[in-house]
Amino acid sequence: MLIEARGLAKTYRLGQVDVQALRGVDVDVGAGEYIAITGPSGSGKSTLMHILGCLDTPSTGSYRLDGEDVGSLSGKRLAHVRNRKVGFVFQTFNLMPRLTVEENVALPLKYRGGVPRGERRARALALLERLGLGDRIGHRPDELSGGERQRVAIARALVGTPAILMADEPTGNLDSRAGAEVLATFAELHAAGHTIVLVTHDPGVAGRAQRVIQMSDGRVV
Amino acid sequence: MNLLESLLTGLDEARRHWGQTVLSLLGLVLGTGSIVTVLALFGGQTAITEQFLSEVGGRGTIIVYDRESSARPRARELASKRLTFRDAQYLRDRATTLTAVSPGWSEELPYRAGDVSFDGEVVGTVPDYMVINDITPMIGRYLSDLDVRHQARVAVLGWKYADSLFGRAGDALGQIVSLGGKSYTVVGVLEREEFYFAAWEDNALEYRNERAYIPISTAIAQHSATDRLDFLTLKARPSAGGAAAQAQVKSLLYARHGVEDFDIRMSGQGAGDDSGQFLLLFNFIFLVVGIVSLVTGGIVIANILLASVVERVREFGTRMALGATAGAIFAQVLAEVLVVTIMGGLLGLGLGAALTGVVAHFMQMPAVVSPFIATVSLTTALTVGLVAGLFPALRASRLAPVEALRYA
Repeated sequence: MLIEARGLAKTYRLGQVDVQALRGVDVDVGAGEYIAITGPSGSGKSTLMHILGCLDTPSTGSYRLDGEDVGSLSGKRLAHVRNRKVGFVFQTFNLMPRLTVEENVALPLKYRGGVPRGERRARALALLERLGLGDRIGHRPDELSGGERQRVAIARALVGTPAILMADEPTGNLDSRAGAEVLATFAELHAAGHTIVLVTHDPGVAGRAQRVIQMSDGRVV
Repeated sequence: MNLLESLLTGLDEARRHWGQTVLSLLGLVLGTGSIVTVLALFGGQTAITEQFLSEVGGRGTIIVYDRESSARPRARELASKRLTFRDAQYLRDRATTLTAVSPGWSEELPYRAGDVSFDGEVVGTVPDYMVINDITPMIGRYLSDLDVRHQARVAVLGWKYADSLFGRAGDALGQIVSLGGKSYTVVGVLEREEFYFAAWEDNALEYRNERAYIPISTAIAQHSATDRLDFLTLKARPSAGGAAAQAQVKSLLYARHGVEDFDIRMSGQGAGDDSGQFLLLFNFIFLVVGIVSLVTGGIVIANILLASVVERVREFGTRMALGATAGAIFAQVLAEVLVVTIMGGLLGLGLGAALTGVVAHFMQMPAVVSPFIATVSLTTALTVGLVAGLFPALRASRLAPVEALRYA
């Protein structure tokens, strides 16, 4: 199993009130799976995704990612795991506005260290070609359409050859045509063997996945 | 990502946030510029004082003045013989910290030669006085030991008086001048002495051009009823130092007089006092302006960085999601600060140098931005920048990725 999570729980403290975002969740994801986590807002789907993506740590429970127990890692080790094992795609793209498309895509390799500049560039260009953005490499994000921006973000998520690609509402900020393009890209990546976990509240998007994890009130239903 | 790359990222960010960078620069530039200017002008002033000191005989010249009697003198003061020729002899024998002792007598006397006459200062002294005060004859000679021993009626004239009395300073040699009604042969005329602390100041050495020197023995025999002196000019042994010599002279004289009826001054003290005070005020104002600007600059930098951190928290969150460590984020923010600070410091140095040049030109003051001044001001700017930038950098690097990403 690529992902083995047992009894994940997360409690936030909001002022005087404890909010239980996750109340004991077990998740298994195998290599090559395409999974959608869905549910109404406040169901804990984003929290689950943040924990699976090592952006957040569970209050209790165990989590093994690609054979490594990441529940107890230090901040620096977690950064390392995020860099190598996880590729993130955000709803709002989160591209660096002052960097070019190519620089944006190569950024994770820069944080990895030890990858020569030429190789970083070559890998970024290869991915951009593959995602149909070969003519956009020198542009800034604000010169691109929403669909193009999200595909740049996908290229950035993939450049480090992560074990798993995670997407948080990847079509949430896109019109239906651009959304369909992005979903088509995910389908292609899945067909090429990538493991994908995406979070969505849109049943149409969730329906494209192989398997759906339905969340409600901090639990899997 | 290694340190170098984090730094390069920060550098790049500083370039891409150009507007912000320029704003943070201003405070630093002004602050550093003011500090450079102050230090340069201060250095120039110190240099000119030093120059004046060497002009009047160098450091280590001590002058003992006879103090005015008190309005109601006590018994001890009345018992004192005051400053006398014997004091000079005593110091010459006992004061181990001195290399030269020159007794001095001074009085305002009428000068006359032909039909030119005026009142002016006449100084009675010994050959040592010339050495101590670095006096050089333009023509003729200075007083000799023989003159002193024989109470010779000879005078050495300052340049201006020689010029006034005889039409041309060069014509005075061998002429007779009447000082206080007694005739003296002019055996020498001194070089014209000039020194200006600033363009608007009068010649600080003019008093040396307006006097005549006669042997101390002659002065006392011809013009004085007592052997009382007006001053002693002393030279400290370089190895002993001026302060030590001053202390020794004070205790020796006090022991002899039983009362402090004299004042001791070091060379340089009092010389060009007015201009010194003016410059001090000038420097003080500049220094205050400099410090205020630097502090303001620091606050501006911290403020802008804090603001830009808030603005860019989500960007940092994204960078963390892509694998940036806390250290990498810290290094990036710090690098931005460093770039701004170093650039601000260097530009400030340039501004300071330009300002110094302008001030030095218009006020006719010697002022140079030395490597020392450059180092000090750059270090100050760097320190302010780092302190101001450290807090925002720490704050940015401590954020948890998920918090940073959610930051609204």
